[in-house]
Amino acid sequence: MDPKLTEVSQLFERLKASLMRNDLDNCSNLLSQLKVMLTGFRSLPPLFEDSPNAVQELTIARNIYEHAVVLSVKAEDQDAFERDFFQLKPYYTDIGARLPPSSQEYPILGLNLLRLLVQNRIAEFHTELELLSTNALENPCIKHAVELEQSFMEGAYNRVLSARQTVPHETYAYFMDLLVKTVRDEIAGCGEKAYDYLSIIDAKQMLMISSDQELCTFITEERPDWEIKNGLVFFQKAKESAPCKEIPSLQLINQTLSYARELERIV
Amino acid sequence: MATAMVISSANSLLAMLNEPHPHLKVHALSNLNAFVDNFWPEISTSVTLIESLYEDEEFDQRQLAALLVSKVFYYLGELNDSLSYALGAGPLFDVSEDSDYVHTLLAKAIDEYAALRSKELNREAVKVDPRLEAIVERMLDKCILEGKFQQAIGIAVECRRLDKLEEAITKSDNIQGTLSYCINISHTFVNLREYRREVLLLLVKIYQKLPTPDYLSICQCLMDLDDPEGVVSILEKLLRSANKDEALLAFQIAFDLVENERQAFLLNVRDRLPEPKLKPSEVPQHGSSEPVGAQNQEVNAGSDQTSPSEDVSMADEANTPVSNVMDPAEVTYADRLVKVKGILSGETSIQLTLQFLYSHNRSDLLILKTIKQSVEMRNSVCHSATINANAIMHAGTTVDTFLRENLDWLSRATNWAKFSATAGLGVIHRGHLQQGRSLMAPYLPQSGAVGGGSPYSEGGALYALGLIHANHGEGIKQFLRDSLRSTNVEVIQHGACLGLGLSSLGTADEEIYDDVKNVLYTDSAVAGEAAGISMGLLMVGSGSEKASEMLAYAHETQHEKIIRGLALGIALTVYGREEEADTLIEQLTRDQDPILRYGGMYALALAYRGTANNKAIRQLLHFAVSDVSDDVRRTAVLALGFVLYSEPEQTPRIVSLLSESYNPHVRYGAALAVGISCAGTGLSEAISLLEPLTSDVVDFVRQGALIAMAMVMVQTSEAIDPRVGNFRRQLEKIILDKHEDTMSKMGAILASGILDAGGRNVTIKLLSKSKHDKVTAVVGLAVFTQFWYWYPLIYFISLAFSPTALIGLNADLKVPKFEFLSHAKPSLFEYPRPITPPAAASAVKAPTAVLSTSAKAKARAKKEADQKAASAEKLPNEESSSGAPNSGTGKSSAEKDGDSMQVDSPVEKKPEAEPSFEILVNPARVVPAQEKFIKFLEDSRYAPVKLAPSGFVLLKDLRPTEPEVLSLTDTPSSMASPSTASTTGQQGQASAMAVDEEPQPPQPFEYAT
Repeated sequence: MDPKLTEVSQLFERLKASLMRNDLDNCSNLLSQLKVMLTGFRSLPPLFEDSPNAVQELTIARNIYEHAVVLSVKAEDQDAFERDFFQLKPYYTDIGARLPPSSQEYPILGLNLLRLLVQNRIAEFHTELELLSTNALENPCIKHAVELEQSFMEGAYNRVLSARQTVPHETYAYFMDLLVKTVRDEIAGCGEKAYDYLSIIDAKQMLMISSDQELCTFITEERPDWEIKNGLVFFQKAKESAPCKEIPSLQLINQTLSYARELERIV
Repeated sequence: MATAMVISSANSLLAMLNEPHPHLKVHALSNLNAFVDNFWPEISTSVTLIESLYEDEEFDQRQLAALLVSKVFYYLGELNDSLSYALGAGPLFDVSEDSDYVHTLLAKAIDEYAALRSKELNREAVKVDPRLEAIVERMLDKCILEGKFQQAIGIAVECRRLDKLEEAITKSDNIQGTLSYCINISHTFVNLREYRREVLLLLVKIYQKLPTPDYLSICQCLMDLDDPEGVVSILEKLLRSANKDEALLAFQIAFDLVENERQAFLLNVRDRLPEPKLKPSEVPQHGSSEPVGAQNQEVNAGSDQTSPSEDVSMADEANTPVSNVMDPAEVTYADRLVKVKGILSGETSIQLTLQFLYSHNRSDLLILKTIKQSVEMRNSVCHSATINANAIMHAGTTVDTFLRENLDWLSRATNWAKFSATAGLGVIHRGHLQQGRSLMAPYLPQSGAVGGGSPYSEGGALYALGLIHANHGEGIKQFLRDSLRSTNVEVIQHGACLGLGLSSLGTADEEIYDDVKNVLYTDSAVAGEAAGISMGLLMVGSGSEKASEMLAYAHETQHEKIIRGLALGIALTVYGREEEADTLIEQLTRDQDPILRYGGMYALALAYRGTANNKAIRQLLHFAVSDVSDDVRRTAVLALGFVLYSEPEQTPRIVSLLSESYNPHVRYGAALAVGISCAGTGLSEAISLLEPLTSDVVDFVRQGALIAMAMVMVQTSEAIDPRVGNFRRQLEKIILDKHEDTMSKMGAILASGILDAGGRNVTIKLLSKSKHDKVTAVVGLAVFTQFWYWYPLIYFISLAFSPTALIGLNADLKVPKFEFLSHAKPSLFEYPRPITPPAAASAVKAPTAVLSTSAKAKARAKKEADQKAASAEKLPNEESSSGAPNSGTGKSSAEKDGDSMQVDSPVEKKPEAEPSFEILVNPARVVPAQEKFIKFLEDSRYAPVKLAPSGFVLLKDLRPTEPEVLSLTDTPSSMASPSTASTTGQQGQASAMAVDEEPQPPQPFEYAT
């Protein structure tokens, strides 16, 4: 076996071990070393050069990046997640039949979908979705993300929140927590448009917050312009409601009609 | 399968760029750099990220980042950004890479650099980015290393890097070839005059360093630089050499210089050459056969310039009695010196040309006869045009048979027509330097007595003298000055002014200028017009401040004619000055007076002649469509022809829209523009453009188109372009048509003259073989276009004629028997067939007897050539031994007894398959289109010094011991003896010439007034 490959696999074992120990600092340190070493393999994307160890190299590289993705979730680092995921992706899309498919593929793809959902990047979410085969859509990990998105779009926020309990993979928890936050944010946004004020109890129910204490922290952290007074939550809508411009509808209608007439004459 | 695998997205690499570890960034960058060609759209979204990497001082692969950004910008079409990042990439930007990106950016970089350099040299404050400079230099070095010297030279010239230019030339494997290439591009692509001088200076420097310098090219450069000293030293060195070939080379140089017609320069060179130390062993052929009358008056003026005339050499002999015992080397040197001086004065070439044109004259008198008969008697315009056409047809041939046969008819010319008719003699006898005076004597104003001659014929005669001596007027100018001073008849003044201008063309002679100026200040319209033109002719290309003087007077005078003459004169002074003339041009084109604006157009045309300068073209096109005066618009379009004559293919395209203008003046201008710039080329597009114009609805447009068409088609045979035949028939039809407008009829008559100009042996050529402009020719055409206002100026076209001949000369400047090959079907380049005579043609035949014999001699020579060629195929060795004497005797017998040829003629061969080549005998007609087919025979006795397909070629004699057979038997050897010239009078000289088969002077004929 190639000495370089051996070295990489040894280092990788150590990475796995420290990941088990949840020693995140050590992990990222090892990972960074590993990535640098991987750049020395010429059989990896984007070069795909043919070498005798190509299959092993590809396999180990894919493994490393899969772990890197998991690690980034554990470290709750979304940027790192994105970086690692993109570097991993060619191993799924471009490698073709050279490697047997990875067991981690769908969980990680689902994770990425979830991430996009959390970051509210719906367009990219659908782009990714289009790239998947119909079989993949049946996979529970993917399905989970797809259903979540549907509920999210419908506004069935309660279903989103309840889905928190049915995660297909343990790594999903982090993003689900974030998603709850996103959903709450959406609800709050709608709420302040719809009402001038709400009672604390109604507000709690709507935002699906269990205690007054949590509501207070939510308000101070996310919506500092809200006010709690007399058991009511005021949304301070009056401040920003600038008189909206009236649409000159009559004039527009007249104009459109005259265009239509003119058009007829021309023809 | 592995090879088929490619990544589908650059996202992974872009993600890697965000990795904190620098090693990963570098890895990503280098991979991105490799894949940028496919993934630039994806990368472009992250370009800011990469830019920040480039700007990060601590990142050690900044240049790689810069390269990547540069490539992305290149794909986005942002070349400026791309270039600035490519500069940032430093050495990573690989100039030798063979990709579109590198090619495009290099081109951009070089353009940028060239623009900056030229600004820098214009003393504008610009800072050239050293990185840009480095890239260009790398490119240059690479070109030089790889042996792409032409590229390197092009870039170096463009970027004004003379140091690199020098390096490129000296390192090239074929220095001679590279140098000549360089000279060529310096003429075609270097637009700034100053800079071109610098380039040429450098070239001369390099040339002189070479072990075997190419003196021909050096001298051409030196001429451009106007450095007579340099030429003189080279000539002297060559003449001193013991090697005979070097002397031949010197002669060749002299001939080449003469071809460019820069009189002032040539005179400078000649005067700087030392005087020959002793009486030459034999009197040179171009000897002192000054007209007798002139001899006494102008010994001082004429003797030292026109070669060693009697007095000087005698004096020399007296002073140096030791001459007899002098070194034979000195003797040959002196002899050669005399010859070179003769060549430089232009006399040798003029004389040889004259002999060639005379002996090969093939003009068809029947055409003239037809014209004469069809033209209505009372229509003086057409009558005059016919006389003009005759003059043009016989320009330089000295054949005036037609005039002498039709004295009665000729006498119908009165007043200015008579002026024209007399001046026409000058065209016919153009270059007849020795006998010019005596030929014109009957018409010249008689000094002292107020003769009975009409002032018109006297003025015409002076003008004719100018035409005869055009650009070689050393011998005649004194006489013309005297004539000018001694008269106050404005017609004579008119003729004298024109004559002086012509003979002293471009000499910037102050005294003559003052004389002419005095005439101008008399404020007589007729004389003033000629004076204005004459001042311009004198000052051609001098760019002197005299122009402002002329401009001031043009503002002062009331006479339109004078203003017009001056406007043209001013334009002539800036000939070839390019940017230097811009102020004056600006002044003229902004003037209130349309005539001066019209002069401005000519100034633009002449200052930028043959440069195809974009700025000038743009300006002219602007005036062509926007000026309020039709005259200015017409001239602006016409001027395009002058600016573009170095690139004739361009002109039809540029003026094609203008030729469809609603304004007839613009159409006329377009026609002439094409005529001027494509003159003598027979260019197919030009003919296609002119064809519809020859049947335009407006008469003068037809006139212009016919003349232009003739200029384009001159010497193009029907075999090359069948439209030539159609055109000839069209001309005949117009001339014979009773209802045709006078204007177009006149155009047709002139066109027939131009089409067969100079006995069908000349073409209109504005560029010499070395691609230099021919001053006289360009000036001649410019003044010719003035015929719109003043018909006598038509004769200026004769200045633009240059004989299409290959004339080989031996060391004695004699024309030896010499054969060479034209590797094309003879019918392609043969003379047009004489038109079939009508029933009563027998009477007309008689005067053409000379022609028919020479035609038969020619036919016979050809026949022999064919036979010889046939035998040569079998026995190539025999060719040289048997061929030459055979044809030699054939030809000489043909020339001796024309009558016996009549007997021989039935033995004409039956028509057979046309051979694919033709043997030509020195001197031979070689039309421009034929030049590329000319080959010199390898086992010939003579070898050319320079492989030129036409013009004067000096021949090395490889077998000097054998007796030489001379081809032109009418070398005026006996005539050159000074005793004959000085003792016998006019008549005696005439008889001497008759013996020598020199063209005879016409018996003076008197007009019936």
